Amino acid sequence: MNGTARAQVYGTGGHTVTMQVSVITSVRVTVGSVNLNISSANVVAGQNQMSVTDQSTSLLWGTNSSLRKVSVSTSLAAPKFTLKLLALNPTVGNAAPQVTLSTSAQDLLLNIGRSSGSCTLLYTGIALVSQGTGNDVHVITFTVAAQ
Amino acid sequence: MSHTIMRSFAIFVILCSAGSLTQLRAQISVQGGNPLMSVTTGTAGAQPVSVTNAATSLRWRKQNVITKITVSTSCPGQRFTLTVLATNLTYGVAAPQVTLFNGMPATNFVLNIPTGNPVHKTCTLQYTASATFAQGNSAELGNDVHAITYTLVAQ
Repeated sequence: MNGTARAQVYGTGGHTVTMQVSVITSVRVTVGSVNLNISSANVVAGQNQMSVTDQSTSLLWGTNSSLRKVSVSTSLAAPKFTLKLLALNPTVGNAAPQVTLSTSAQDLLLNIGRSSGSCTLLYTGIALVSQGTGNDVHVITFTVAAQ
Repeated sequence: MSHTIMRSFAIFVILCSAGSLTQLRAQISVQGGNPLMSVTTGTAGAQPVSVTNAATSLRWRKQNVITKITVSTSCPGQRFTLTVLATNLTYGVAAPQVTLFNGMPATNFVLNIPTGNPVHKTCTLQYTASATFAQGNSAELGNDVHAITYTLVAQ
């Protein structure tokens, strides 16, 4: 005889619940604009090239699609100076080599598929003494795309 | 003659069985149909935003003993997370929120349902659907379809 007692069942009922998860992609930059100011403090005697860096902002993303990357581009078609960008310490995926920003999308991060993560944005502004003075205003766009 | 008696007996047995089955089903039922829950948004650096559905309810008959309701699900190939909680319960005690997973044992959902009137008692079924970015999406992996069963048993 089986010693396990079964409770009296009075009835059963049920239904079907369907759960659907859309393709979700979200990307944003932490608050604030970046100002890279090259001044006399950045001048090295005897050298034409001056540079300054900023890593005060971060990129955050979330994507539930497989095989995804982050690319970056700028709105400024003909910059006077050079602006470069590198993804530092990504929590997921691999940083691409430092890119010189242009209007063409370039890889910033690879292999971020199905993840939520962040990285620090390391900007480097470069000017030559011979280029004189001026301002470049970039509107930078980050895009999660198929890899 | 004996054939006629046997046939009548067989029909009687079938009718009794059908009656018992109908009675079993009538003791507890889900009202409001079969919900579709869609997770559609997410936050960069965080996770997709969970969604809640409270459009369906559970209705059951009083019994002569104290009873409880258990819940279980069948969802082969389940990818995402679905929980259920009994709310708007006026008779009995809601168990903590239950996480539904394929092949789970029957798990307490409502406890200590008293024997007294009213004849029919109800609660709202509050489902919460959630997913992480790492769990992917339905376009690549398909939907989760849960066949959820509620059972009214003696406690």
